[in-house]
Amino acid sequence: MPELCGGVSTAELIASIGSAQNADGGWGYTGRSSWTEPTAFALLALSASGALSERSRQGFRWLARTERREGGWAPVPSVSESTWVTAPAVLALAETESAHNLQPAVDWLLRQTGEESTLVDRVRRVLLGTKMEVGEGTSGWPWLAGTAGWVMPTALTILALEKAQRRGHAAGTQKRVQQGREFLLARICDDGGWNYGASQALGYQAHSYPDTTGMALLALHGSSSPKVTAALAKAQEQVGLCRSAQTLCWLYMGLAAHGRRPSADTGNCRLDNPNLIDRALVLLARAAEQSRPSVWGAV
Amino acid sequence: MNRTLRRRDLLAGGLAYGLAGPSCSRRAGPPPRVSIIRAGTYEEDLTLKVLGILREHRIDVRGKRVVLKPNLVEFDPGRSINTHPAVVHAAFEAFRASGAAEVRIAEGPGHRRNTWELADAAGFPAAFRNFQSIFTDLNLDEVSRVALHRPFSRLSELYLPQTALGADLLVSLPKMKTHHWVGATLSMKNLFGLVPGSVYGWPKNVLHWAGIDECIADLHGVFPKHFCLVDGIVGMDGNGPIQGNQKTAGVLVAGDDAVAVDATCCRIMRLDPDKIGYLQLARSRSGTDLTNIRQIGESISSVQTAFELIPEWKALRLPATPGGLS
Repeated sequence: MPELCGGVSTAELIASIGSAQNADGGWGYTGRSSWTEPTAFALLALSASGALSERSRQGFRWLARTERREGGWAPVPSVSESTWVTAPAVLALAETESAHNLQPAVDWLLRQTGEESTLVDRVRRVLLGTKMEVGEGTSGWPWLAGTAGWVMPTALTILALEKAQRRGHAAGTQKRVQQGREFLLARICDDGGWNYGASQALGYQAHSYPDTTGMALLALHGSSSPKVTAALAKAQEQVGLCRSAQTLCWLYMGLAAHGRRPSADTGNCRLDNPNLIDRALVLLARAAEQSRPSVWGAV
Repeated sequence: MNRTLRRRDLLAGGLAYGLAGPSCSRRAGPPPRVSIIRAGTYEEDLTLKVLGILREHRIDVRGKRVVLKPNLVEFDPGRSINTHPAVVHAAFEAFRASGAAEVRIAEGPGHRRNTWELADAAGFPAAFRNFQSIFTDLNLDEVSRVALHRPFSRLSELYLPQTALGADLLVSLPKMKTHHWVGATLSMKNLFGLVPGSVYGWPKNVLHWAGIDECIADLHGVFPKHFCLVDGIVGMDGNGPIQGNQKTAGVLVAGDDAVAVDATCCRIMRLDPDKIGYLQLARSRSGTDLTNIRQIGESISSVQTAFELIPEWKALRLPATPGGLS
């Protein structure tokens, strides 16, 4: 099996991520101001590659000092609201040995839920006479507070809570992780994988995507549900159609979380014009390939 | 996709606005001008047609920074979901030939996190020389906070990409499509792609919960003077904007008043613009008189073709108008 996204060595990826670090310790999507998600993924990737340096560790300090009072993180400090990026921040900070108290962040994550699963919204729908869609009775995580639960933020939050749990920040996490898993299982599309949200809209079947399928499989590690078995088959099918590194890496890690490797050739995968997230994901997927998947905690 | 907001909710929201929304401000001056130009295929010399449109509308971009915003949503080889790269290429060449200092293509797809993969699948890198150097992924751009002045939605602010905010001229290049939540997606709905996923996620679900029609009108309020060029050569009808069917209309529709352009497109599609929620909201602010649009080029009646509607939107159907509406 050729190396994932061959043509760019692990050393080159580590160097390019290192050189993209901002003076304040964080990383940006486009290299200017520092954002939470790319900082978290850069740190996860460097940690998974055994390449954390004293300078790159400043990224942990950037994350620690940008945590908001309520316990979460904003996408970029200039945004005045904690959002889904809290999950990747927790995943990254859990790499440090008790250097940061994760409990406020865990508590913030535990307070979040898809708006459609709240009592207020259920009452609203009863009053409006709108029927519930498949899976709307389960409770996932939204991108932003006050909006619906979606597959990606739910998968990332499950992984973050599990990892925090292993760091000793366990209070209340198990029940919500289980609810999140039920959310994902309830949203499997007819074709076996995951769309971004529901498995159907307006009565029409939605089709699945490879990146969401990979993320959901990663969050459902250890599940023996027949639905997951079918999803793994779908993921194998999607591997052969992947054109981008980012998408392939999620699939790759999703399969690895269930002890599988891609059965199809991944030679079509390209790392054209990679942004920080692309490069970080390749390092993470390569680490998973080499059985160094601890960054996710789930694999 | 999550179906988090139902049409019934939207109608309820529209009613609430009618009772409590911002007051109407009527625009003085000549009626808005909208061009309808026949274009049978994507193989025609579209650059020439776009150049003619820019001349007709006296668009002066000499020395200016132009940002082209196509509609990139999903890729399915059997469906006409995205603005065709040939139309975007024609606009790119026409604005460059008109003396623009810089022309960039920028988009922030609402579903797909990997914008490059989507652009690649949709044929954009193949249509442009060195596409990477002229494209900005708006989902990952630097952002600035924009306060919404007298918003229709419950949002008081949006974080928007600096590439769009810094443009001298923003050009909306949508696909002519029906839309299962708002009836039709055209120039104004295309502005949803300016809202960055890095802040709001994929999809930008906050816009759904805050009211889709209301958020479209609010975004139009942030970018009221953008130019519009609608790819109606092959559009989509039925369950748009993704799962519908190809629908040939054979036109490019353009103008600098998005409300007038979108209303004209609706009439071409045989949809009643008076029943499109966001058009009503936006015109209440812009003062655009939808009964007084100066059509340039083809008449509406000569290109009008009924776009199929899903049952929820049957009431939008506009009767055929043999005499034309122009």
